[in-house]
Amino acid sequence: MSVEQKKVRKKERSARLAIWMAARSSRNKTFLDRLCRKMITKATAVDPTKDFMRDDFVDNDQGFDPDELDRYQRGETAVVGQQ
Amino acid sequence: MPAPVPFDPQEIVDAKYEERPTREGVTTKRMICAACDIACSVVGEVQKGRVTKIRSSDNPIFKDNICMKGIVAPKGLAHPNRILHPLKRVGERGSGKFEQVTWEEAMGDIGGRLKKIIAEYGPEAWAVSTSQWNTSTDHGLGRRVMNHVGSPNWISGVALCAGNTAAVNRFTYGWFPFGDFSSTNCIVLMGHNPRRHSWTPLYNSIRSAQARGAKLIVMDPRRSSSAERADIWLPLKAGSDAAMMFGWLKVIIDEELYDKEFVANWTLGFEDLKERVNEYPLERVAELTGCDPEMIAEAARVYATSGPSIIPWTPITDMQRNSTSGIRLQTILRSICGYVDVPGGELLQGFNPDIVNESTVEMHHVLSDEQKLKQLGSKDHPAFTYRGQLAFREPTQRVYGQEYANLVTGCHMATPSETFRAMAGEGEYPVKAFFFLGNNPLMSYANMPLIHKAMMNQDLIVSHEQFMTPSAQLADYILPADSWLERPWIHDMFGWMSTIRFSEKAMDPPGDCKSTFEFWKQIAGALDMPEVVPWDTIEDFYDYRVAGTGKSFADLISDTEVYFKKPAFKTYEKTGFATPSGKVELKSSLLEELGFDPLPYFREDPPHDKDYPQKMFTGVREDPYFQTGHRHIPEMRARCPEPQIYLNEKTAKAAGVAEGDWVSVENQLGSVKAILAVKDAMPDDLVRVPHGWWKPEMKQGNGSLSGAWDYSDAQLCRDDPDYLDHEQGIPHLKGIPCRVVPLAAEGPAKAASNAQHMEPAE
Repeated sequence: MSVEQKKVRKKERSARLAIWMAARSSRNKTFLDRLCRKMITKATAVDPTKDFMRDDFVDNDQGFDPDELDRYQRGETAVVGQQ
Repeated sequence: MPAPVPFDPQEIVDAKYEERPTREGVTTKRMICAACDIACSVVGEVQKGRVTKIRSSDNPIFKDNICMKGIVAPKGLAHPNRILHPLKRVGERGSGKFEQVTWEEAMGDIGGRLKKIIAEYGPEAWAVSTSQWNTSTDHGLGRRVMNHVGSPNWISGVALCAGNTAAVNRFTYGWFPFGDFSSTNCIVLMGHNPRRHSWTPLYNSIRSAQARGAKLIVMDPRRSSSAERADIWLPLKAGSDAAMMFGWLKVIIDEELYDKEFVANWTLGFEDLKERVNEYPLERVAELTGCDPEMIAEAARVYATSGPSIIPWTPITDMQRNSTSGIRLQTILRSICGYVDVPGGELLQGFNPDIVNESTVEMHHVLSDEQKLKQLGSKDHPAFTYRGQLAFREPTQRVYGQEYANLVTGCHMATPSETFRAMAGEGEYPVKAFFFLGNNPLMSYANMPLIHKAMMNQDLIVSHEQFMTPSAQLADYILPADSWLERPWIHDMFGWMSTIRFSEKAMDPPGDCKSTFEFWKQIAGALDMPEVVPWDTIEDFYDYRVAGTGKSFADLISDTEVYFKKPAFKTYEKTGFATPSGKVELKSSLLEELGFDPLPYFREDPPHDKDYPQKMFTGVREDPYFQTGHRHIPEMRARCPEPQIYLNEKTAKAAGVAEGDWVSVENQLGSVKAILAVKDAMPDDLVRVPHGWWKPEMKQGNGSLSGAWDYSDAQLCRDDPDYLDHEQGIPHLKGIPCRVVPLAAEGPAKAASNAQHMEPAE
């Protein structure tokens, strides 16, 4: 095996480990799963002051009230005669 | 994925790993968002039987992959104008008048009329258009039913967005690669500008890669936000992508920056390629692209020497006169630099062997060769049609274990323009029945006037939809569609990658809304072939698809958020590439067999027309909207209430228009109205026309079609020979001659009275 091939195989093993960890992390049921999740969380953490994913629209979203959605679906928010 | 960092084991032992806490009465579902085509993993919160909140996933792999379109989905899909019952047209086509019927009544009539059309004109007289991605999806069942009936005429927006790229990538190395963002050293964006609320996971990946030191090269006529963050920005002329890549190849080959060993062992046609590249010295490339030769050379050197590097897929190169050459040049750059199928480069993942993929579900083998060759567009523009892709059967079997790989569902399509011509009575044979699912075809392809004529010439039009789109207004039947909140889903990454994800059903569909699974099952029944869709429920169908995992769909959805295939690199060393030669074909044997230039080339613009001094690009969506959708949602509409075109100040002045004016953008095909926004990020004489505008509150039916005749950019998208890519027959949307003129005394188009379908006042 050439040096180049060895490098690729090493990367392949790393990728397999990473995918295995991601799969375990995704399950999040056993201690090992949670260990993997913790490691991935730590590895992907971004300083909040530099976190390019922060957004008020996302972070402050409170969702909708189910009754309000029901009324909305029935068109009850429409002002009669304004259509 | 980034390398693991040091951690304190005690911290893990002590930690409580709970899902995000929820309020009382709230349950959560793990879902995949289908508000656009990116498919972010999200969590749906459910109260009183309905989804009330969509938030980002608890899983660190997917965290923060959510945008405003996903967040407003519960309200957008609860909109009072949602179609909840089957509707049958009354009055003339386009009258805008419908009456409520049952699914049984609708299917009885549809089946009878479709059988009559097939008996009279042949099965090829039935065409189907789906927006495969955001219907999420028809699981390959549409193609399956069509293949059994005998019609090859399936079209989709993926003809000019990713599906065509997948098909053309196969000509070089047999598959469509996906860039390894997690460990690449350099990312090249060609006109693409992923943002926090558009292409969110891609934006996240790019920013993360930059944060760990990867370089970013952006080619874009606009000074986009990605361009501002790039290490190198090449402000090339719209539509000159292929010319730019010739320049890069010239530098990389002349300076011997390519991977000599890979080129010698694994490629064919390098000497021919070199000869073609020599036709593009940097001075010529500079003239064609408008960029400084030194900057072109510098960018090429960074790409070739920083490696492994990636050129992620971009819709921009998909939509050009030189699309096939542009896409092929991307594949060639990846190949000769040795970036294919290596860590940090472009991964050829293949199918996940444990899942029955959609290509298999589609059963392309049951469609006869005779019918395959009738596919519209096969003769003149065969690249992604059956004719263009048939030669991949053996190589794909050899490398990926099955004959048909319908990657991104784009590898066996009819050509849209040829299909609409046939529908309009101008084709090689008539098409008289047209179905569309989760798709607004009138506004989603080029040449809206032709598409309108085509639809008006149909004997039967069936739409499976959530809302009364301009296209649905021309249908005979509109059947109410469910949404991604209301059904389970197996997401197979569009047959492009091998990872599989699962989405839970979070609420019942309202009214009589049904899934695409149910739609196709009922169509198969109406055509007297129920055995074609033999599963009773979508869950049964999914159990069949996941049986190879050793688990049921219910088990998988409860304990597996993502199902991976074991990664492997350089697998071609064992199998060869999935091309006829088994090698990377820099000079394509298959394009040559099809009668085209086997090497990439660059077609320059047609002669300048002085009446149309500016150039426009379209296909751009505002962040609150996806394609032609979402304009009914008050929160989104408030962010972007009217269509806006962008010009820079100099061009606006020359056109006699100013910020805030209503203007008309015109070319030889049509015109659209929009408000002018002056942006200094725009180059001279370039006009940005937004994609997919109509106003759900405007008058329905022919004449207005809810404003589609006022605003839809498809009216400007030409599909005459000068503006079509030869090999694929897809239109040129990046650099179309046009003019901008003031619209005197014109305000926003008035909302006409149509009480039944008006938005509520907000």
